[in-house]
Amino acid sequence: MSELIVDGRKRVPRILDIRSFPGVGPVAVAALVFLYLPMLVTTVYAFNAGDQALVWEGFSTQWFGYVLTNHTIIDTAITSVQLAVAATVAAVVMALAFALSVDGLRRRGSALANALMAAPLIIPEVVLAVATLAFIRMIGLQPGFLSLFLAHTTFCIPFALMPIRSRLDAIGREVFEAGADLGATAAPMLWRITLPLLVPGLVSGALLSFVISMDDFIISSFLSSAGSTTLPVYLYGLIRRGPSPAINVVALLLLTLAVVVTSFTYLAPKKKRSES
Amino acid sequence: MSEPNRGRTPGRLPWFASLPALVIGALFTIGPLAVIVAFSFMTRPAQGGGVVYQFTTDAYRTSLFTKSFNGDLVFNSAYLEVFWRSVVQATISTAICFVLAFPLALWIATRTPRVQNLLVLAVTIPFWTNLLVRTYAWMLVLAKDGVINQASRALGLGEHELLYTDLASQLGLIYTFLPFMVLPLYSSLSGFDFRLAEAGYDLGAHKFTVLRRIILPMARPGIISGSLLVFMPALGSYVQPVLLGGGKVLLIGNLIASQFGDSRNWPFGAALSVIILALLGLCLLGVGLWARRTGTKVSLSL
Repeated sequence: MSELIVDGRKRVPRILDIRSFPGVGPVAVAALVFLYLPMLVTTVYAFNAGDQALVWEGFSTQWFGYVLTNHTIIDTAITSVQLAVAATVAAVVMALAFALSVDGLRRRGSALANALMAAPLIIPEVVLAVATLAFIRMIGLQPGFLSLFLAHTTFCIPFALMPIRSRLDAIGREVFEAGADLGATAAPMLWRITLPLLVPGLVSGALLSFVISMDDFIISSFLSSAGSTTLPVYLYGLIRRGPSPAINVVALLLLTLAVVVTSFTYLAPKKKRSES
Repeated sequence: MSEPNRGRTPGRLPWFASLPALVIGALFTIGPLAVIVAFSFMTRPAQGGGVVYQFTTDAYRTSLFTKSFNGDLVFNSAYLEVFWRSVVQATISTAICFVLAFPLALWIATRTPRVQNLLVLAVTIPFWTNLLVRTYAWMLVLAKDGVINQASRALGLGEHELLYTDLASQLGLIYTFLPFMVLPLYSSLSGFDFRLAEAGYDLGAHKFTVLRRIILPMARPGIISGSLLVFMPALGSYVQPVLLGGGKVLLIGNLIASQFGDSRNWPFGAALSVIILALLGLCLLGVGLWARRTGTKVSLSL
């Protein structure tokens, strides 16, 4: 680096390498280890051969066999998947319609509409859970699949909306204007231009909704009935009794779902960060 | 009022297409909140759950007073203590999350774009992992035969009671909400031109002056968003105190849930919900006013 002359004196530029700010690297790495160590432990113990969750007795996949043939686990998992698929379809359709039309609402309070969509993210889940329970009783519903479906759809909508919106913002209006110039009317525009271009956003939105619904425990535990127990509600009951090899396997399977879905959502389409 | 369709981007839908999402959102967000406010002013039935439609403020009184045998109201701090404990745990969670998240976010923001994407993914994966799984993973680490105790025994340091303690519950909260702090911090730091910090240093500022006077103010919107996104859900947490705290450490979320379960005092549970919502509302209002005065842009999405 060359020397500078400042006020008649020689001056050597001071170089700050921001990449090696003191203390930042070690704490950052420690935080990442903190995030992943418990997951690593869970992964390792899922392959334990022994009958106890934490006493290592060699490598085995026998507990996967146990979990995949356990009727209660399979049944509750099926309930969870059915619920997640139903809520995802409903949430994505409504989020899509909302994203494509909310601009038209500007004068009718789109800020309010957006706040309403974000509300489930801010209200403490326990409060929303007990409030929803009180509400469905009030409107004459009972805890069960329908109640679960309505509640899950509601809290999935904001998650379905995020990627659909950021995709829509990324497309830009020229594309649609060109389509209109070339004579496309509303319906062909929707089917031949809007929807195909939105596919990555729709896929991400659907995956995120699916995971959010599959993962929900607190709201589901208040709205489940005997015939509609979801996997997390059942899993919670198991976990309360302490660690077990079967839970290790279920945990690893759910962890894998999160890794696959997140990687797919964040790496597949070049995500444009949107600030809302 | 203008024609709602005029000036609409071609390819968009008419305004009423947003109604289904709005109706279900209103029905299952505002509806339950309205019901919970109403229930908090109602009377508890003689037995069982539910409410009797009769106006009373008993539920709110219960949070501070108990009736003695002769019917006098006696101050009772038990529930106040639960509130206080929840606020303390949520505050500690927010503070420690910040201490861990700020260096991590700064570190990520100063990598190459490709590495940044991968690291953001690495922080996002725990965020999308089932809450029960994340909490359970800590049970494996902290249990009597857990990883820490195995290591401790191997080193001859003996066995420690870690699981089902206050500390475990606190640790679970920090772990759960760390990504909520990292992501908004990263998003406010990622667009920053770090040459400005280098310029400050070159002009003679100490490294920590650069941090305090240049980088921290830049990150302010992220700090506010991150703190709210950690503090608010941590205040109402329910799973970690039961699974990691062993149910011994009661937080406000558990107290609310239990009022709709075993002890079945719905009006009281509703009143507690209203109180916590009011607290959070005040919190948001304060931050909102502060943000307006200082011109900071605060967003509450990830």
